[in-house]
Amino acid sequence: MLEKLFTDIAGIWNKYGMVYLDGIKNTVILATTATVIGCVIGLICGILNTIPVSSRDPLPKRIFLKIVRIILRVYVEVFRGTPMILQAVFIYYGIPYFFGVSFDSIWTVSIVVVSINTGAYMAESVRGGIMSIDIGQTEGAKAIGMNHWQTMTGVILPQAFRNILPQIGNNYIINIKDTSVMFIIGFSDFFAVHKMVSGAIFTYFPSAFMEMFGYLVLTLVASGLLRLLEKHMKGDKNYELASGDQLVMAAGTYKVPSSAEPFEERSREFGGKR
Amino acid sequence: MSEHILEVRHLSKSFGSHQVLTDIDFNVSKGDVTCIIGASGSGKSTLLRCINLLETPTGGEILYHGQDVTGSRIDQCAYRAKVGMVFQSFNLFSNMTVLKNCVYGQVKVAKTDKAAAREKAMYYLGKVGMQEYINAKPDQLSGGQKQRVAIARALAMEPEILLFDEPTSALDPEMVGEVLDVMRNLARDGMTMLVVTHEMAFARDVSTRVVYMADGVIAEEGPPSQVMTDPVNPRTREFLARFL
Repeated sequence: MLEKLFTDIAGIWNKYGMVYLDGIKNTVILATTATVIGCVIGLICGILNTIPVSSRDPLPKRIFLKIVRIILRVYVEVFRGTPMILQAVFIYYGIPYFFGVSFDSIWTVSIVVVSINTGAYMAESVRGGIMSIDIGQTEGAKAIGMNHWQTMTGVILPQAFRNILPQIGNNYIINIKDTSVMFIIGFSDFFAVHKMVSGAIFTYFPSAFMEMFGYLVLTLVASGLLRLLEKHMKGDKNYELASGDQLVMAAGTYKVPSSAEPFEERSREFGGKR
Repeated sequence: MSEHILEVRHLSKSFGSHQVLTDIDFNVSKGDVTCIIGASGSGKSTLLRCINLLETPTGGEILYHGQDVTGSRIDQCAYRAKVGMVFQSFNLFSNMTVLKNCVYGQVKVAKTDKAAAREKAMYYLGKVGMQEYINAKPDQLSGGQKQRVAIARALAMEPEILLFDEPTSALDPEMVGEVLDVMRNLARDGMTMLVVTHEMAFARDVSTRVVYMADGVIAEEGPPSQVMTDPVNPRTREFLARFL
């Protein structure tokens, strides 16, 4: 039985191997690009969602922010609450229907659909990630005069990013698998190859077997890469003391110099500058 | 124009129906070291947070060099950059090294160039005795060390006035001393400071003025020699009796 399966697979592979590989390539490119763009969308939504408003702000600003928040809410609910396969059809046929322009490439529309779908999920993950960071971090940043954008990009999101990395991994793996629905608008991903090949030579099961195996390998590699990234982002546990300067005193024995001696160690450390 | 750096006028703050601060009036001049003392819940920290606009006051005004900062027209970030704050819980940026903590605000907010910002950061880290820890992350430091870095970070912005919100309350007893030493030196250097504290000895020895708060109002204020040794208000006397 197994022998027959492997012969069939070998037969398909000899004839269509390159087509399958091409499908894998398209799947990986689409899933990766769309995940990256989706993350950027999610981060921007997170920044916009957390702009602080107080009752002392001028009315136009408050109204504007309210509208921004409503738009983001609608975006998230619509794209999280409808099937991606339908979103693809909706956008692919909807845009020409209303605006009379069609997409010049199936790639553009595919990347757009998967990105905004991922963005809707990521927006919520980023929101959770931001909420998980201690409010003290924001206050510390505010207290030295940093604005919302500087606080978010410099302090909060780098920390939140580590917390949402598992979510990004989830979305990446989901995208690798779920980009298969893009065959509906004619995108030739890995799964589309299966439909095409088995439609031509009626080898449904052997081809499906190859697909299962292929997708599993892709997602395993993806989750492995993400674990590496997570490990990398944890950073080094050790740090070097910036000694080498004999005037730097050993830890714990340091006495804060009184203001009477205006810190000679500094002037020597910097070669007497300033 | 007024000669005071900061004037707080009729300031009030309520959280919902809970009135935390009522009609607070006081001034800060250059070189003042003002200690705000009082029982927990008396509104000391809220007052400090209102001054730095971390809380929005519900009434009254805060004048910085004669200009009201509570309205929407002023640049809050520019104002905060000139009014430093040191927190009870340090609030160092945990994604940055000690050095970057002290450099980041200078570069992003004050637009200092990187080399100068680094040099200034090193200077102030030296002042608090943390210059050898520049490569450490905040999580790798003790509480006292973190607070000293937090003070250096605030100083690196070269603020006109530095607010301390119970800077030693979260520290183990043996680390309180190192932080108070740093603050004592700052006071001696002429830094204008507004300190919310439970360290009565520090208030007595270092401050130029002591403000005693109770139930959201200033119950008594004056030079430490008077407020701390010969208080007029019986509540101040009762409060101090528990400490001295």
